[in-house]
Amino acid sequence: MKQTLRTGLLALSLGISGAAAHADITVYTAGPAGLAKALAADFTKESGIKVNLFQATTGKVMARLKAEQANPQADIVISASWATATSFADQGLLLPYTSPNAATVPDFLKSESYVAEGVAALAIAWNPKSGTNKPTDWADLAKPEYKSLVTMPDPAQSGSAFELVAGLDAAGHDDLFPALAANGMLVAGANKAALTPVLQGAKAAVFGAVDYIAMGAKAKGESIDVAFPTSGTVVAPRPMMILKSTKHADDAKKFIDFVLSDKGQKEVAKVYLMPARTDVEALRPTITELKLLPQSGDAYAKRGEILDNFSKSFGH
Amino acid sequence: MAGERTGSPLLSGMTAVALVVVVALPFTFIMLQAIFPEIGAGSFARPFSHLGAVLKSEDFGIETRNTLFLGTGVVLASSVIAVPLAGLRALYRLPGALLWDVVFLVPFMIPPYIATLGWILTLQPAGYLQQLTGVNLAEFLFSFPGIVFVMAMHSFPVVYFAASRSFATIGARFADVSRVFGAGPGRAFWRITLPLATPALAASLLLVFAMSIEEYGTPAVLGARFGFDVLVTGIDGSLSDWPIDLPKAALLSLALIVLSLLAFALQRRIATARDFDVVGGKSPRAPARSLGVWQAPVLALFGLVAFVSTGLPLLAILATALSRTISGGLALDNIGLLHFEAILSDTTGAMQAMANSFSLGLIAALVAGVFGIAVAYVTTRGPGRGQRVIDALAMLPNAAPGVVVALGLILLWNQPSLPITPYNTMWILVLAYVCILLPQPVRYTVAAFQQINPSLEAAARISGASPMRTALRIWVPLIAPSVLAAMLLVFTVAARELVASLLVAPVGTDTIGTYIWRQFDQGSVGDGMAMAFLAIIATTLIPLGLLGSLRRFERKA
Repeated sequence: MKQTLRTGLLALSLGISGAAAHADITVYTAGPAGLAKALAADFTKESGIKVNLFQATTGKVMARLKAEQANPQADIVISASWATATSFADQGLLLPYTSPNAATVPDFLKSESYVAEGVAALAIAWNPKSGTNKPTDWADLAKPEYKSLVTMPDPAQSGSAFELVAGLDAAGHDDLFPALAANGMLVAGANKAALTPVLQGAKAAVFGAVDYIAMGAKAKGESIDVAFPTSGTVVAPRPMMILKSTKHADDAKKFIDFVLSDKGQKEVAKVYLMPARTDVEALRPTITELKLLPQSGDAYAKRGEILDNFSKSFGH
Repeated sequence: MAGERTGSPLLSGMTAVALVVVVALPFTFIMLQAIFPEIGAGSFARPFSHLGAVLKSEDFGIETRNTLFLGTGVVLASSVIAVPLAGLRALYRLPGALLWDVVFLVPFMIPPYIATLGWILTLQPAGYLQQLTGVNLAEFLFSFPGIVFVMAMHSFPVVYFAASRSFATIGARFADVSRVFGAGPGRAFWRITLPLATPALAASLLLVFAMSIEEYGTPAVLGARFGFDVLVTGIDGSLSDWPIDLPKAALLSLALIVLSLLAFALQRRIATARDFDVVGGKSPRAPARSLGVWQAPVLALFGLVAFVSTGLPLLAILATALSRTISGGLALDNIGLLHFEAILSDTTGAMQAMANSFSLGLIAALVAGVFGIAVAYVTTRGPGRGQRVIDALAMLPNAAPGVVVALGLILLWNQPSLPITPYNTMWILVLAYVCILLPQPVRYTVAAFQQINPSLEAAARISGASPMRTALRIWVPLIAPSVLAAMLLVFTVAARELVASLLVAPVGTDTIGTYIWRQFDQGSVGDGMAMAFLAIIATTLIPLGLLGSLRRFERKA
């Protein structure tokens, strides 16, 4: 403790002399922090380039980027929402780069200026000790058996939950949400906030859980199962991008290469995400094994309308 | 307060400059952001383009109303709990008085977002209470009274400490006079002691109001469950939900600031309406009375409040930290130390986060303490001109949620034209904590100054003491206990601050708050709770040592 206290004070005294390491690359990343730290450590070991990490939710990462616009600090951004990457690309904020390691990344997971780190899917997370039957499809959760026992991340807060609502709307399941609302489904908070009540048993299932988080909890011994709905679901790829304002473009490119390398992709797989590369083995069902809802191309143009309809179903 | 003005213009000037750098500039950038949506990119394009839409929106009205309700509710609930306890503590011989003080410090050491999570894990269906007794209080918890209750359980100590200190200073002497004239003990308290404690009470209630309307964690977690939105959750939404809307966040913050300033004006009016000097010379502290037959019921009351405010949340935190899995519940085979091992083995940087937070808290407390004395001295003793501005500036941060202060600090200190900047160093966190917490030492010290009759200083000066000597021998000893108490508060709150830290922490730096938050975000609620438990123990033990020296100091004075 004494030692670490001394390091803390040392860090403070160093800080004022402006010794913040600017020669290294700075990565702003959405969770999970464990993955970001592992990737950064391995990258430094391999290349000698130090990585400064800022890890928060996608929302907080975006807020910091926006506030820092006058003097951008980040070189690389890893987000949990694909839409942030398309929007940044439209605003011309990104440095075009295609990594040689991206050859086996499917086309819909890359563009000229961003590429997926890994992919999550949305699913039903269900507690086997809840005394309910394992749900197999979205509509099951509107049944009386699950009355007031279902939570859902708020699509206004969670980018992936929004994708799910947009996907289900586009697939013609628009009667689903009024039925779920009538069945007492609780819509609150971001992804993690929806899962904790299910673990303790206050609720039985999460509608639209981010699957890798639930799989990680299961691996730690929690009583939780993941069900991929039979009528199909959506995936949430996690884009990586290099900001055009970077002063360390070459080092930043090396980092992207590393995340897409065999070693980097194995780290991604370890936290139960699907690796972006199809030739790296996943520890979970992959895109080819999952049934997907049809793509809703213009979802983001209609974001306001979709969210309005959604909240109307819940009487807000 | 109309007394002699003896302060030097130099001190006023220095205080004003420091306040401008620490408080006014970041807030100016927030205002600029509210007016010029593109300011983050360094452009003044499209001014006022946001204003109309935000002010007209239905949410804005509802959020403002809810914020007012919440602040008022928590103020009322806190005073109902704290004032009777403070009166009993200050005016009667309470067995274990010091122990109760320490116990009532603990709710303040528990980060509000952690306490709220503890309450949820305890009261929700299948929560700890239901596992133990078969009943759950989810309906109460997820309601307006539930939010007010949880927040009052956290904030009543602010009122308790301010009120009991003030009651003790007033002592029983004044009430005794009324007793001589035939008033009963209750009447004497209501008509004499309570009114004389008005400045301290009003100051602490204002703090509670400001804390409640800028609190994020509790309304965000509990309020979301029944659609109760306040301005702070609205601000956080515009900062987190895609697309990010900085101008809207800044506008909502301005609304919050206006609310706080109104409350501040009200408090100032109450505190300065009359003369509340009670320290007019060295008077022996009257011995406290005996409680007599009421000793057992009074102790039971203290015990109950202590258990609900301190014991229950701590037990919930400990239970979760000791559970192998959340879904395993309260079962013998589910008990394990793995979460504590994960923290103590320091594989994830937990110890470094703790060291960071404690160093930062210490520095912030020192800076804020000195700052607080300067501002309080200038506003109560300094030259009249500008003192109201200085007072308002020192109060301003109380009005804004941490996330807004953080935003202002980034906009200000990340300007590319600055030759040297604390941004992306640990000092930005010191700036953030001092800015957010400055009102605490200021409020406490101002209240202490208002109870010192200026004739004490005049007497010292007439007797030939230099201003420095007057300060050192007269008012420093008299205000020291209040300042130290406020610095303790700054230390504990800064050591666990979350919302601003999350946004401005230099890359790669964790504090206690951000570390715990990351643990919750990843799925290891147990690791987060283990860290929270250790941090609460540490933040309680460090001030305890200081509190001991405070007592010694008080006795000497």
